[in-house]
Amino acid sequence: MTCIRSFLRGSLLISQKKRVNKLNLESVSRCLTSFIIKQDKGCIINRKRYISIVFAWIKYLFTVLLLLCLINKGAESLGYNWQWYRIPKYLFSFDNGIFQAGPLLKGLLVTFQITSISLVLCIIFGFITAMMRLSDSFAARTLARAYLEIIRNTPLLIQIFFIYFVISPVIEIEAFTSAVLALSLFEGAYASEIFRAGIVSIDKNQWDASYSLGISKFHTYRYIVIPQAFERVLPPLTGQIVSLIKDSALVSTIAIYDLTMQGRAIISKTFLTFEVWFTVALIYLVITASASMVANMLEKRMKYENG
Amino acid sequence: MIEINNINKAFTNGITALKNFSLTVQRKEVVVIIGPSGSGKSTLLKCLNGLEEIDEGSIVIDGIPLDHQKKNRLEIRKEVGMVFQSFNLFPHMTVMENINLAQMVVRKKSAAQAQETTMELLTKVDIASKAGSYPAQLSGGQQQRVAIARALAMMPKVMLFDEATSALDPEMIGEVLDVMKNLAKEGMTMIVVTHEMGFAKEAGDRIVFMADGEIVEQGTSEKFFNNPEKERTKQFLSQIF
Ligand SMILES: Nc1ncnc2c1ncn2[C@@H]1O[C@H](COP(=O)(O)OP(=O)(O)OP(=O)(O)O)[C@@H](O)[C@H]1O
Ligand SMILES: [Mg+2]
Repeated sequence: MTCIRSFLRGSLLISQKKRVNKLNLESVSRCLTSFIIKQDKGCIINRKRYISIVFAWIKYLFTVLLLLCLINKGAESLGYNWQWYRIPKYLFSFDNGIFQAGPLLKGLLVTFQITSISLVLCIIFGFITAMMRLSDSFAARTLARAYLEIIRNTPLLIQIFFIYFVISPVIEIEAFTSAVLALSLFEGAYASEIFRAGIVSIDKNQWDASYSLGISKFHTYRYIVIPQAFERVLPPLTGQIVSLIKDSALVSTIAIYDLTMQGRAIISKTFLTFEVWFTVALIYLVITASASMVANMLEKRMKYENG
Repeated sequence: MIEINNINKAFTNGITALKNFSLTVQRKEVVVIIGPSGSGKSTLLKCLNGLEEIDEGSIVIDGIPLDHQKKNRLEIRKEVGMVFQSFNLFPHMTVMENINLAQMVVRKKSAAQAQETTMELLTKVDIASKAGSYPAQLSGGQQQRVAIARALAMMPKVMLFDEATSALDPEMIGEVLDVMKNLAKEGMTMIVVTHEMGFAKEAGDRIVFMADGEIVEQGTSEKFFNNPEKERTKQFLSQIF
């Protein structure tokens, strides 16, 4: 900004010296200076924010560097031989100029498949459970409650094992289906609490207004309560997606070649323990961080909309 | 048109809101209900369209008994429109959608038919230009007029108003009261809970004064305001004027 300003001033001075079209020039310069002042005001605010962001990044980079140094020290004292150059080919390679996904990218794809299918199911399970908990039927409420308590009070790993080793032989489903089922049942329980909270948060007056028009309970949910609850529920739900992605790493325990499992397989072949785990962790971080960013953006947008 | 017979209503917290309450309202009659805060006025209106359940007694509206049958309850709600103190518009819908919704979902009208009725009603409450706005973009008076139009869109036979102007800034009260007065002139059967004594005098056929869930005194507006009989009524009126 300052550079542009000095440039403009410079060029103005030059043209003034030449005394070309003085009248016209004055108005132009007035125009420009007012423009510059306006820009400047914006700049002051922006500069503060800019500096704080830069500082944050410097602190962040510094911490990361420190951490890397420590790790390097530790690895050195272990006599670890870094071989980062061997990692890229596990991500992707070019065979005769044709892109070939390496095992890690293939694993990432499996992780994506599992999380996306689980996400859809998780939302369905969560929604049904929430509606059951809010229903008038005692049986439905008890059932939903039992499901929630069981899921929330047992480890996800045990649930995955239970479905894979106990249930899947009985109903004959594959490892992939078991994994998806276990994950979506687990995250669905938490999603249902999010949905329920969203629905309960809608003011009773909205129900009264809808009922007073003769609208049925079902249609009140459909047209009035759920659309309003949906907006409120979106940010926490995005947080739940982050959990889903992270928790999906556990399915590597039942022989599904997701990102984590591929990492383990590569290590057992190559002993590139540090490099591979760093890479895998970084990939998870990138995905979850982007999901969180989307969540933050949604949250901000909601706030603007609601005042 | 409306027959309320000895209804009792107590809330789960033990408060008795209505005690042996009886009231009959004729077709095209405008009944104004006044009374101190907590006397059960809102509860009475909510019982009339089944938003609150009565413990004892009976309510019959236009020949339909308000009982435990879902069908009757929905039928009554179609015939009884209600306007709330806090407007209660649907914030995620435009004015047009707010008014269209029940017509389409309950009366099964097509979008075009609903829209036509909606525009007519919006013109009637003098706010047609705001059809595409969201409730948050309207003033309180405008919101309340939309709420009235929304209730009227169901072509109700009875309209209930629960302190429709109490949440409004003084300069907006008039525009809402005008709409209500016009409705009364057109012959709508109305039960109006209000603190606006001007409206009560001008538009009310009958004034009902209630306290502690019971009717203390009722009469034509002239008689009620000029020679109240009961001590309690005199006391209340002297507080207001
Ligand atoms: N949902 C509820 N649960 C418990 N008590 C209630 C409920 N609604 C109202 N009450 C109580 O019932 C009594 C009558 O309330 P109501 O709202 O009908 O009074 P009101 O005449 O409308 O008063 P106001 O002029 O303040 O609106 C009050 O004592 C109130 O506290
Ligand atoms: Mg009230």
